[in-house]
Amino acid sequence: MKIKERIRDGVVILELSGKLMGGPDAATFNDTLKTLLHEDHRNILVDLSRINWVNSTGLGILISGYSTVKKGGGDLKLLNVSDRIESIFMVSKLHTVFVSFSDEEEAVRSFA
Amino acid sequence: MTGSREPSQRIELKIPSQLLYLGVPDAILMELAGDLPCDQKDIDEISTSVIEACTNAMEHGNGMDENRQVEIHFDIAPDRIAITVLDHGSGFDFENWTPPEDLLRERGRGITIMREFSDTLHFDFADDGRFRVRLRKQLQRQE
Repeated sequence: MKIKERIRDGVVILELSGKLMGGPDAATFNDTLKTLLHEDHRNILVDLSRINWVNSTGLGILISGYSTVKKGGGDLKLLNVSDRIESIFMVSKLHTVFVSFSDEEEAVRSFA
Repeated sequence: MTGSREPSQRIELKIPSQLLYLGVPDAILMELAGDLPCDQKDIDEISTSVIEACTNAMEHGNGMDENRQVEIHFDIAPDRIAITVLDHGSGFDFENWTPPEDLLRERGRGITIMREFSDTLHFDFADDGRFRVRLRKQLQRQE
């Protein structure tokens, strides 16, 4: 998994690409979030449009990231969740945890 | 299932216990999906199930020992896909397994995903002693 970072109106957008499946991905994602929180960036939007698939370990990475940001006083939301990933969220009930958007502008505004 | 069944073709695959190879069974199913008269959603679901089975096989079965392989059999027919995943582990107490309830837990969703996305899911041991997961999905015909 690769992470590309940009900022829009005070919201950090993390564009993930590849496969979200555990291994080194967990540390990469968590370290990125901890650095952002340390730099006082608390509004995080994770763009999943370039993620091909997620396994249950990858779900754990997203949940860990969500908990890290929440504990740091911030919020983590999702952008562009594919139908395939959305169906995994549904069966694992994670759609009740993550707030997700298909429109970036709307997602960024939601942090205001 | 009863009644007439269309013949299936078998593909057999062996992959090392390294996460980077999890995309290989997915790629095989996605490649085949284009030629099967079914909904892409069916292929996505069975492929997600296979990725889970292989993740468990690598992590829990083979202990991420890259010298231990995960073996995958795809039995593909126009109306169904049956998949077998074999590892060298000692299995788990699947008869008494219940899904954890904490929504924010970081582990323990693989079996739920496999169960929800497959029509049948069986755990047992093959004759050679390897732990075996068998998944099956009936494909909804898309004309």
